[in-house]
Amino acid sequence: MAEARKSMIKIKPKKYKVGDTVKVDFIVIHPMDTGMQKDKKTGKIKPAHYIDNITFSFDGKPFTTMKVWESVSTNPYFSVNYKVTGKGKITVDYTDNQGEKNSKSKKVKPKE
Amino acid sequence: MERRKFIQGMFAATAVVAITVPTTMFAEEAKKAAPKGPNDMSFDEAVKAITEGKEVKESDKIKLTVPEIAENGAVVPVKVNVDYPMTEKESVTAIHILNTANSNARCADVMLTPANEKAYFATRVKLSKTQDVVALVALSDGTYMKASKSVKVTIGGCG
Repeated sequence: MAEARKSMIKIKPKKYKVGDTVKVDFIVIHPMDTGMQKDKKTGKIKPAHYIDNITFSFDGKPFTTMKVWESVSTNPYFSVNYKVTGKGKITVDYTDNQGEKNSKSKKVKPKE
Repeated sequence: MERRKFIQGMFAATAVVAITVPTTMFAEEAKKAAPKGPNDMSFDEAVKAITEGKEVKESDKIKLTVPEIAENGAVVPVKVNVDYPMTEKESVTAIHILNTANSNARCADVMLTPANEKAYFATRVKLSKTQDVVALVALSDGTYMKASKSVKVTIGGCG
């Protein structure tokens, strides 16, 4: 069931110049099931479902990669630093252990 | 006197039954019900898998920010700042977030590059009970350093 997940990339602070270091926050709506929780309605154990790989890239060049396990919270949030080098696009690709693949991107517009 | 003793005895007996039976039952049930996670890994195994047996030094260059008391174990914010240069020659190559008592000790491995400018990572993790959160940092010269802090969890987050 590959439904599009809601996700968001935030760049903090909102106004930045070339050479500034900004925080890139990535938030995604994902259950992050551990495989140990019971479904409250059916009483059966829910299968594990969590994000396992994340890649942050700028114009196709990856600058941070992550491997993630089920101990990360539901609707996870990841934040890293990034030095702005110019105009472009930050893309976050992520996959989960059930084979879902998604990506989200945001334009980088430094102020002159 | 006899009547008083008798009544006291009654109370004591019922109290003992009431306390002992449910707790033992729950304990047994919990043991049976606790299923194994998909990636069971103890803390020592996880550290070994990352460092391959190399020495890990405690360091005050790592600034690990976690709450002292987490009311809800399902959402514990973790923030790591490393005071170390990020250049082509020497840099922080990875930040590993670990815990000591969850069924899987590994939370996240973050591979950094000099484009990050400063070694920083923040996320939120689940903690099943009161335990330590450990930040294990890999440097480009092949050494490792770590910082740990204990978090008191009131309600576990791995239900």
